[in-house]
Amino acid sequence: MLMVIIFWGCERDNFQKLDERNWQITWSDEFNGQAGQLPDASKWTFDLGTGQDGWGNSELQSYTNSTANISLDDEGNLVITAINQGNRFTSARIKTQGLFAQKYGRFEARIKTPYGPGLWPAFWMLGENIETVPWPGCGEIDIMELRGQEPHIIHGTIHGPGYSGGNPITGSYALVNDRFDADFHIYAIEWDKDKIDFFVDDYLYQRIERGDVPGEWVYDQPFFILLNVAVGGNYVGFPTAQTPFPQKMYIDYVRVFREAE
Amino acid sequence: MKTNMLIRLKKYIPIVFLAALFMGCERDLTDLQPVTFPDNPEVFIDGFTAGLNYAAFGGSVPTAFDVDKKETYNNSEASMRFDVPNAGDPRGAYAGGVFFTGTGRNLTGYNALTFWAKASQSAVIDVVGFGNDLGASEYQVTISGMQVSTNWQKYIIPLPNSSVLTAERGMFYYSTGPVDGKGYSFWVDELKFENLGTIAHPQFIILNGQDQVETSFVGVEKMITGLTSVFNLPTGVNQTLNIAPAYFEFTSSNPSIATVDAAGKVLVTGGPGQSVITAKVGDAEVNGSLTIQSQGVFQLAPVPTRPVENVISVFSNAYPNVPVNYYNGYWEPYQTTLSADFEVDGDQVLNYTNFNFVGIEFSSPAIDASAMTHLHADIFIPAALTGNAQMRFELVDLVATVSGTFTTTITPGQSQQWVSLDIPLSNFAGLSAKNNLGQLIFVDVSENIAGFYADNIYFFNDGTQPSSPATAAPVPTHPAANVTSVFSDTYPSVPGTDLNPDWGQATVVTTVQIQGNNTLKLAGLNYQGIQFGASQDVSSMGFLHLDFWTANSTALSIFLISPGPVETPYTLTVPTSGWSSIDIPLSSFAPVSLTDVIQLKFDGNGDIYLDNVYFRKN
Repeated sequence: MLMVIIFWGCERDNFQKLDERNWQITWSDEFNGQAGQLPDASKWTFDLGTGQDGWGNSELQSYTNSTANISLDDEGNLVITAINQGNRFTSARIKTQGLFAQKYGRFEARIKTPYGPGLWPAFWMLGENIETVPWPGCGEIDIMELRGQEPHIIHGTIHGPGYSGGNPITGSYALVNDRFDADFHIYAIEWDKDKIDFFVDDYLYQRIERGDVPGEWVYDQPFFILLNVAVGGNYVGFPTAQTPFPQKMYIDYVRVFREAE
Repeated sequence: MKTNMLIRLKKYIPIVFLAALFMGCERDLTDLQPVTFPDNPEVFIDGFTAGLNYAAFGGSVPTAFDVDKKETYNNSEASMRFDVPNAGDPRGAYAGGVFFTGTGRNLTGYNALTFWAKASQSAVIDVVGFGNDLGASEYQVTISGMQVSTNWQKYIIPLPNSSVLTAERGMFYYSTGPVDGKGYSFWVDELKFENLGTIAHPQFIILNGQDQVETSFVGVEKMITGLTSVFNLPTGVNQTLNIAPAYFEFTSSNPSIATVDAAGKVLVTGGPGQSVITAKVGDAEVNGSLTIQSQGVFQLAPVPTRPVENVISVFSNAYPNVPVNYYNGYWEPYQTTLSADFEVDGDQVLNYTNFNFVGIEFSSPAIDASAMTHLHADIFIPAALTGNAQMRFELVDLVATVSGTFTTTITPGQSQQWVSLDIPLSNFAGLSAKNNLGQLIFVDVSENIAGFYADNIYFFNDGTQPSSPATAAPVPTHPAANVTSVFSDTYPSVPGTDLNPDWGQATVVTTVQIQGNNTLKLAGLNYQGIQFGASQDVSSMGFLHLDFWTANSTALSIFLISPGPVETPYTLTVPTSGWSSIDIPLSSFAPVSLTDVIQLKFDGNGDIYLDNVYFRKN
């Protein structure tokens, strides 16, 4: 019996007392489809090219809508592949902008991350009013980001006016003796008018409340969803000669819920 | 590294009690089954663990390893220090050795050997690894080129498939030399086995990951090489390991065509037919494969029958071969030809694939083929020719930078069988000399020869051109009283004459017996002197007599020398047809002082036989 207690002592605390919720699904993509298909055009659009200054972060990749960079795999996953073509990198970034956005609720995805120095996968959201209120005023919620040189740590972050770029509100979650690219994990936020809770595998590792932000709370409007794999950039640093390519992010599903009345 | 110096370090007391504490987190003790071998994960924490020994590699500094109590990781009790010697250290050229246990350990519960390391300077450790047990080292794993810095860093040697490590004795080994001639020290601490969840994405690779396809024959053997494994480390970068064949389970898709043994040795056993050699590591797939396309029983090239003394061989199992620099120069950028040489029943065969042109070089030393009459080569084009093929042979004299070419036609009916070519050297257009041949080049002139096998490439003398005189030189008839002799069986020679003074020449001088007659042989002549025992006054003589014989010389002259030196050449006509006898008027050597001649000299090339060298009166 003594041994059992010590065994549990080596694990993280498995039990958290959380509020009961009654989530009802409002939107999802299960990514079921034949290998080589692009993601459902009624749900996703593409960001293409290199953006302005590497999407504002000196990222190296050029985003494409080629099935080499993004396609279903016939095993229920969407696969985003970052490719190194002689130090010219291609990858993909998709978003629900103009197709789906929601204020509050639970946003979750089941993802197996890529890995390697300079790889920067993300499951994140932007405020729907970004066309009229430029970033960071529109708000950004990063449900999952990972630096490929630290494949055991994920980060959950919000960017808003007065707390963006290198100075956001952020928290991290590290696996002990495991890593996020070794298997699928569920990344989620639960968001209401008072707070945003960040989860890994239903473990709450960060709560950001209205009063925690040093600037304006801009999270009372619909946000749309983005998925991408960046290569290089200010956040992650540059890939090295030892970074393995190609690198793939597998997304089993993205699901959005609203709390039932 | 076959000999090892065993150093048992009994003074370090094994520390095992830590293991019990660690195991508390790992498993429920009630689940443990009785095991034959201990599963202690610790190799060196603050001293030698139970049963650990150290042996230095032969030729290494035997005292390179020591236990260090000053420089340790995390201020622990002790670390392992390795002192790499300076270049030229009389104690040994490098530091290297093995940490092993007398009894095996069960490592099936771990997936990595880990340690902390630092060095007195930034350096690259040539080799570190696991599984060297001073014996068969069946499960050896090696990392080549491990970068160490002056800060403590953690290093990981993944175990490719620990399920096989039920009784492993090789715990850790290393080998490295000086950096830029200078020695340094490095430290290793907290050396232990762990079960890490932070290493991921194992890949296993044979043949460097290539799917190779080879045409082959019954009896051909080939080793599966390029055995590696790649693991992704916690930092996201890949670590490549060279791993032993025993980690792999090799399989032949068709053992009636080819078999493969546990060591990865493939033997073609039947055919025609195809077999694919693949491998697995545990349940994991392995990248790379070898497809054997067996053509069945190989038709060996005809066995050469020329007497060995008439042959200079470049490539043959029937003759000793001259030193060859390479059988494929991989001349960039235009050459496409690759080599896939093979051996059938002890007969090696050159196999050129993707052929456009290819060169064989034999320039160290070059071949003196001046006594040879022909080039022989056996050629086999394995693909069926649809039209005539033109293959050009080029012989290159690298010294004179001249070459001769000969083009032969191979008809469709001659493909898929051996074609034996005996090409007269006189047919190589442009080959002005054959005493300094350095390369043989094959060229696909018709651009329809996908590849070919070659065997029995040699120069030979077909007997039409004897390389030495069959008969002795004619016996001189001049009265001895009229003669001052330098070299002859008929007359007494000038006493003390040196037939081979060292003037720095390359010529090899021997006295050979031809029909019982002593004959002076100058082989591989560049120049050669003869030093008289004393100065000779030959002013009363009329001629210098000489019998000479050569089959291969293209230039030869003789000099008479008086002090000064004053020397004058006289050109001899070569090659000879049998023995040439000549009486050279001494007036031809003016202005040499005939009252004071001291030396003779020959200049030219080839192999020269000389006899009856003497001065005579009219």
